[in-house]
Amino acid sequence: MTLKSLLLVGGALLTGTAASAGGYQVTLAGQKNNGMGGVGVGLSLDQAAMFYNPGALAMVKDRGVQVGVNATIARQAFRAEAGGAQRELQNTTSTPFNLYAGFGPAEGKFRAGVAVYTPFGSQLKYADGWEGRFALTDIDLKSIYVQPTVSYAITDQVSVGAGLMILAYGAVNLQRDIPAQNSSGGYGHIELDGKSKTKFGYNVGVMYKPSEKLSVGLNYRSKINATVENGDVTFSGLSNTAAASFQATKFGATLPLPATASVGIGVMPNEKLTLGFDVNWTEWSAYETLNFTFDAPVNGATSSSSKRYYEDALTFRIGGQYQLTSGLTVRAGAAYDNSPVRDGFVTPETPDADRRTATIGASYKFGEHFGVDLSAQYVNLKKRTETQNDLINNGTTDRVAGTYKTVAVVPGIGLNYTF
Amino acid sequence: MNTKFLKNTTPFLAAGALLLGGCQPDIDAPKVDKGSADFTRYIAVGNSLTAGFMDNGLYLEGQQNSYPSILAQQFQQAGGGEFVQPLFNQANQQNGSGFLRLTGFDATGSPITTFVPGNAGRIPSSPASAPYTKFTGPINNLGVPGIRLADIQTAKFGNIQTTPLNAATFNPYFERITPDGSDVSYFQRVKAEAATATFFTTWLGNNDVLGFATSGGASTTSTITRTDTFTLKSQRIINVLTANGAKGVVSTIPDVTGIPFFTTVGPRLKATLVANNVPGLVIQTGAAAGLANSTNRKQIATTDIRDASGGRQLFTLTGAPFVSLIGRPTGRPWRFVYAQSGQPAAGFPLFLAAYGIDTLQALGVTAQNPFPSAFVLDDVEQGQVNTATTAFNNALRTQALAKNLAIFDANVFFTSVSNNGFATNGVRNTAAFISGNLFSLDGVHPTPRGYAAIANEMIKVINAKYGSSLQLVDPNQYRGVLLP
Repeated sequence: MTLKSLLLVGGALLTGTAASAGGYQVTLAGQKNNGMGGVGVGLSLDQAAMFYNPGALAMVKDRGVQVGVNATIARQAFRAEAGGAQRELQNTTSTPFNLYAGFGPAEGKFRAGVAVYTPFGSQLKYADGWEGRFALTDIDLKSIYVQPTVSYAITDQVSVGAGLMILAYGAVNLQRDIPAQNSSGGYGHIELDGKSKTKFGYNVGVMYKPSEKLSVGLNYRSKINATVENGDVTFSGLSNTAAASFQATKFGATLPLPATASVGIGVMPNEKLTLGFDVNWTEWSAYETLNFTFDAPVNGATSSSSKRYYEDALTFRIGGQYQLTSGLTVRAGAAYDNSPVRDGFVTPETPDADRRTATIGASYKFGEHFGVDLSAQYVNLKKRTETQNDLINNGTTDRVAGTYKTVAVVPGIGLNYTF
Repeated sequence: MNTKFLKNTTPFLAAGALLLGGCQPDIDAPKVDKGSADFTRYIAVGNSLTAGFMDNGLYLEGQQNSYPSILAQQFQQAGGGEFVQPLFNQANQQNGSGFLRLTGFDATGSPITTFVPGNAGRIPSSPASAPYTKFTGPINNLGVPGIRLADIQTAKFGNIQTTPLNAATFNPYFERITPDGSDVSYFQRVKAEAATATFFTTWLGNNDVLGFATSGGASTTSTITRTDTFTLKSQRIINVLTANGAKGVVSTIPDVTGIPFFTTVGPRLKATLVANNVPGLVIQTGAAAGLANSTNRKQIATTDIRDASGGRQLFTLTGAPFVSLIGRPTGRPWRFVYAQSGQPAAGFPLFLAAYGIDTLQALGVTAQNPFPSAFVLDDVEQGQVNTATTAFNNALRTQALAKNLAIFDANVFFTSVSNNGFATNGVRNTAAFISGNLFSLDGVHPTPRGYAAIANEMIKVINAKYGSSLQLVDPNQYRGVLLP
């Protein structure tokens, strides 16, 4: 049963999380995948298949429980078009995590499980007094999906799967300064803080394995609109005369968490080597404008609208793993992620650019059931400049003109117990 | 097993630590180059805008945020030298001539301002007050509030010994930078400084039309300068500035009808009149005396008051306290207008008689008590302003081109600001009074942020003309209107 042994290898040794992806997507869903450039749609490495391709879950031999956590450590340099010193972020570390539990009969065609992962998020804290302070000073965007999943192997070669994606937790905190000055010249500040309503989507996939050396997967994760109603609006630092114009206490907003369609190919030239190639197509075009509604006027208006006009974006991923010893497997990979953010539309909350990612990873298996997965990603965003003229031409002058350069390092660790 | 695990993963961990340590990216600072310009000694020639006048006064904060001062700071990154301004003393003269401060808003949303008295000397209404502390050494900022291009060769312009307090023949701000007893003209003062200057900006001519406009075309003294005079004097000042090969910037004159001084009161008045079904007003026009049946009375339709939806007639900020009296019998606006003339109070009845005013009639809706000319820049007067502004700017552009100088087209810039506002780093500034943040409380002169925006526009034309790469400033670092 070579097929079986391959599945065993996959189940035991591959965990992963994709590296960060464009926009505010976070593709760090499996610790093994994280070490392989984020591939996984055409593979059946471990329980993280519930995220990457539920259709592959039935081809994961083991049942098991696994947990992983990453630390996204981003560093950024910004220079405003209008001159001035380089600005650097106040350093924060966000910790995307994932949790999977997969069940099913040992030799059966059926698998079920529950996945918990964080597919979207962003956390940035800009330097005090930076040039973009009137667009954004802080953002903390979190989402947690819980996904009950079933998968069924129709034949030895074809399996399908589906999961119900539940946006179980979504939270947003946005802060910026208000360009209204009190008598000593100080600026006001606004904080928007809200929780998303529970929403549903789906994650479906199919896996086809024409031979022992080749597998092909398709995956589609639907869009969920994260909707905040009655979020809290808090103003501070406004003088009495200015405060009269800023009366809102509640806000509403909707942020699309876009759909992603993926195709992946797995190649297993021998029992020790696994290679994966993925292409993700994220339907970012769903994000046209960021609209807020308020329960009372904010500087004369009860709503605001800011252009995003994201474009659908492709991500290309390649990765592989090699089993060095019976216990140790090493991994490496890379990804190229086209930014969904068009020129002249870059915002401080998503200072995005095309991303180049390099990854490494390793797993070690302690005995029959227990394994540790390590991964590290280096994400390098291309330097990106937008001028005030670009902003004026696009009607996007609600943001700051300048040059961003961001890199991130994302170490991760995962533990898995299989049975 | 464990040691093997560690041995195998150590390089991996080390690589991770290395990546973390070297993670912070850097963006190179832009290179600053002077190009073909030489900023070693920069002088600024001009009027109130150049001096840093704002909030209806010249005081230390405005001086410190004058566009020449901002420019000089940017020049210093490209070889620019010291920039001396005749600053009011921080310790006890910082209020300068006195200025307006916003203290709040009334129930209708109209701003309430208070005048902070000057503490530097020369009280405008009191010719006998002590002169400003003199500043007669070499200076770089030669901005003199109130000066017209027509005034630049007026002798004794800074010598009160020989002239009365008359804006056309004496200027207390020029007196401030003129030695005691000296009869030099502004032109001569500029010539002395220009002898060693390597770079200059000149922005003169605004007052050659502004005084006429802000007085609603009702002043017998604030008239529009003749175009031939303007052309001649602009040629002279530019010739003297370039005589030693200095390069520089010539600025044009903005269209004054777009500033908050003219655009704030009218729309509010129009809305009130529409709400009360008042079809139109009777206004007085021009400066000439004349009775109720004379040609200085003018009917204007409510719909002809300019607001965002259209209309032509402009109402000045100085008339703001009086528009609410329209429709009621009152003599208050006339007393205000008469007081401005500085004539003895006893002459007020004669003044009313000469203009055919009956203060028992309803203000602004009867020919017997029209809304005063001083508070309205009507369509005919605007035509005169526009004709002059166009002619003046043609002269300035011609001179600048002849000397191959950079041109800051303030007319184009201010028109753009007036139409579209001015967005910078996520902040939308507009030409609106108070809320727009670009114009100070007098509705005419910029705020520090407005001056920073002007400095940026000048830097752009300097960079374009002389191949320099001076850095812009962030206008948001300069204050707008402070809300108490």
